[in-house]
Amino acid sequence: MKHPWLKRLLSLHGLLFLAFVYAPIIIVVVYSFNSHPVNMMVWKDFTFDWYLSIFGNPTKLTEQTLYVESTDQLLSAVKNSLTVAVTTTTFATIVGTATALAIYRYHFKLKPFYQGLLYMPMVMPDIVLGIALLVFFINFGVKLGLMSIIIGHCTFLISYVFVVVSARLAGMDSTLEEASADLGANPWATFRRVTLPQILPGIVGGALLAFIISMDDLVITYFIAGVDSTTLPVFIYGMLRRGVKPEINAIATLMLLFSFAIAALGLYFRRRN
Amino acid sequence: MDSIAEVREAVKRFPAPEGGVITALDDISLNIQQGQFMTLLGPSGCGKTTLLRAISGFEDLDSGEVRIAGESVAGVPPYRRPVNTVFQNYALFPHLSVSGNVGYGLDLARVSKTEREQRVGEALERVNLSGFDRRKPAQLSGGQQQRVALARAIINQPKLLLLDEPLSALDRNLRQSMQLELKSLQHDLGICFLFVTHDQEEALTMSDQVVVLDHGRIEQIGPPEELYHQPATRFVAGFIGDGTLFSGTIENGAEDPILVTEDGLRISVGIGPSVGTKATLIIRPEHLNIAPQEPDNSLGILDAVLEQSVFQGATRQYVCKLANGTSISVSVAGSGDEALSNVNPGDPIRLAYRRNTPHLILES
Amino acid sequence: MATKRDLRSLSTLLTPSTLFLGIFFLGPLAVMIIFSFLEPGVYGGVVWNFYHWNYGRILGWADGEWEDFDPVYIDIFLRSVRLALTNVGITLLVCYPAALWVSGLSARWRTFVVFIITLPFFVSLVVRLFCWVLILRPSGFLSTSLMGLGIISEPIDIIYTETAVLIGMAYILLPFMFLPLYASIEKLDHSLLEASADLGANPFQTFWRVILPCTLPGIAAGAVLVFIPSLGNFIVPDLLGGAKVMMIGNLIEQQFLSARNWPFGSALSVMIMLVMFMLIVFYLRRIGRSEIVR
Repeated sequence: MKHPWLKRLLSLHGLLFLAFVYAPIIIVVVYSFNSHPVNMMVWKDFTFDWYLSIFGNPTKLTEQTLYVESTDQLLSAVKNSLTVAVTTTTFATIVGTATALAIYRYHFKLKPFYQGLLYMPMVMPDIVLGIALLVFFINFGVKLGLMSIIIGHCTFLISYVFVVVSARLAGMDSTLEEASADLGANPWATFRRVTLPQILPGIVGGALLAFIISMDDLVITYFIAGVDSTTLPVFIYGMLRRGVKPEINAIATLMLLFSFAIAALGLYFRRRN
Repeated sequence: MDSIAEVREAVKRFPAPEGGVITALDDISLNIQQGQFMTLLGPSGCGKTTLLRAISGFEDLDSGEVRIAGESVAGVPPYRRPVNTVFQNYALFPHLSVSGNVGYGLDLARVSKTEREQRVGEALERVNLSGFDRRKPAQLSGGQQQRVALARAIINQPKLLLLDEPLSALDRNLRQSMQLELKSLQHDLGICFLFVTHDQEEALTMSDQVVVLDHGRIEQIGPPEELYHQPATRFVAGFIGDGTLFSGTIENGAEDPILVTEDGLRISVGIGPSVGTKATLIIRPEHLNIAPQEPDNSLGILDAVLEQSVFQGATRQYVCKLANGTSISVSVAGSGDEALSNVNPGDPIRLAYRRNTPHLILES
Repeated sequence: MATKRDLRSLSTLLTPSTLFLGIFFLGPLAVMIIFSFLEPGVYGGVVWNFYHWNYGRILGWADGEWEDFDPVYIDIFLRSVRLALTNVGITLLVCYPAALWVSGLSARWRTFVVFIITLPFFVSLVVRLFCWVLILRPSGFLSTSLMGLGIISEPIDIIYTETAVLIGMAYILLPFMFLPLYASIEKLDHSLLEASADLGANPFQTFWRVILPCTLPGIAAGAVLVFIPSLGNFIVPDLLGGAKVMMIGNLIEQQFLSARNWPFGSALSVMIMLVMFMLIVFYLRRIGRSEIVR
């Protein structure tokens, strides 16, 4: 590129782009430490009070205001989210990996059909899947609760794990498995000693992705969660609909930290290979 | 001699991507004897890799059979066959160290730890890689990876070692030294090697027996000298070594029979086949010389026009054109024939050959 | 070719996903499609009679009564399409130069910047939208800051407008546009650009004649990936658009959670699904399969 001004213009746009991506997040984090009790966007003093209050420790600041939310509800939402995410991740990872192996290894007539079926839940708009699951559960008398959420999440998370593991399998040198068989390993030994170590980063990556998406899912959960099985995103969404409160800043910041931690974990696993 | 492996009337067909059927192996039979270095030679798509995979067990034959040490291995999976393979891309396990790769077969056979250490050490020593056992494959050069693949394949002491174009990824110098090294390794181990390549020079350098394959058929089996000097078919003649092919019919000449090509070129051949036979003649560059001034009855003469003279180091090559437009090369040792020093491109030139040297391929 | 053993392991591996997706993915879609052809019950639920006016109602005439012609739903549908298309345009204009910029960085920076750009994608959707609620409210960050700087004297009210909805949707869907664009720009052979310059093209001509045509598959993939979630979105219009900017997603949500007209809501969902299918089939026909795999 022999046009420095053009390059500079592109760089400027790039930096603005990054600012657009990060500014909102930074604002929320910074103002979660603001002690202004009335207008949360007018900076007053640094405080940890909002964090204390969401964990059920009323402080001077939070006692003055009317913003106290039920800590029990929040904690039960967190617990529900974790229960759902751990269960769905386990199930979706096992089923998704098995499916990816089957599609990779064997050639059969219905293969294109399966590939289509597995991509469909990923491109299906959330609202359509949410509605479909809702009418399905109601029609067959399934009680809406943690179980219905777990089932609902698995319908699309299997696909995500499938795609990630498939990509890893496709990148694997298929002669490695032949070399293993050639050296005397039976199919199970080949799987355990060669295939599994090769695709493990893919499985871990798929599981992390499934975990994050499950923790974060709002739309589908919103439709199929029962009254007593609210997850964290649905809980916050409900809070937001009722009005913006300073505690949400603190909750949002904690969730940000959590997401970044998972992303860092994913990066660590990818780097290790 | 004992037969180590035998292929009998092997046939394998694949559906072609654009429809129809590709016959990768068309009635192939061959026999590998104890201690032999055999090479499968042919252009890409000739079926040599398919044949190798049928022996290692990765392809099933449509008909015919593979026998190893006298027993049919039909239906025996690769992991129960007493053969090992050096793969074209080496197929080293990236997650295992050099020692893990080389000892893989021993680990599967649950060999004791001390024996494993010892045998891995020996195998690495054989391929001159002692001290590399803790490295990962990614930390090795191409040549070193090649050696690891070799050590890994010989550690199980297979009856037959299959090598699928193992040298193709190496550069020229390394390839030549590896050729000699492989040959002496095979001699030391006493294991049969079945080597696949598309490089005729490689095949001639290393093999005891060369199998030339084309379109799934065996064109010729024989030692390298035989292939070079007495090619059985036009394909072999054209594929191995340089040379010019002339096709025509045998007729009676003044003294010896002559081959008359369709465009009227007449080339005398030595002790001849019967008149009327269709045949192909191959003349290699080293068969030809510049014709001497005095007539010599033992020589055949070709009239040509000099096109180019190319210095090649140890030899000089003269590219000439015959009356019918065919290009023919003459290679002369040293820096060139003195008689030609003042012959310029475009000048006429007389080429001579000994009547019994060119090889005649008769058409059946 | 396939031995008995192969068949057994194939079916072992495939049975769980087949059963699960068959029952809990295809099953619900089938029920939803059936519901869209049933009569709505008076107090919610369905009456098991074939009833096609759910679809008639989308087009504006319910229950076969021509007098009731009311294009309110068509309006919502068209607004949703318009906003989704605008969002595709915005994300494309924002992401393309950014992707060009990133692909021009040195190899080490490139991976880092791509990671940095995709990182917020891992942050909860509600949290990301909450950020914008905080910024765009009349008492929010933007208004307060601008007033503090003395640029405006009265609070500005951006929230609950189409602009707010577009900002929010663009923000949450940026990675879906950025990643396919970046992938196709990255794949671009650098010598092509040099060849073009060598043949006398200025940077704009090179962009227009070489870069843009070569990255068209990436643009198409990004457009599909942004358009589909934009069209059926109801969270963004709900939080940032309020009652003023109703999209088809909000309409569907209403049918299920307040109006309790399930068949009509199902019919609307089926419409979205149809649009999605048409788009994907068109995309696969024109651009080919390989690009949809991110």
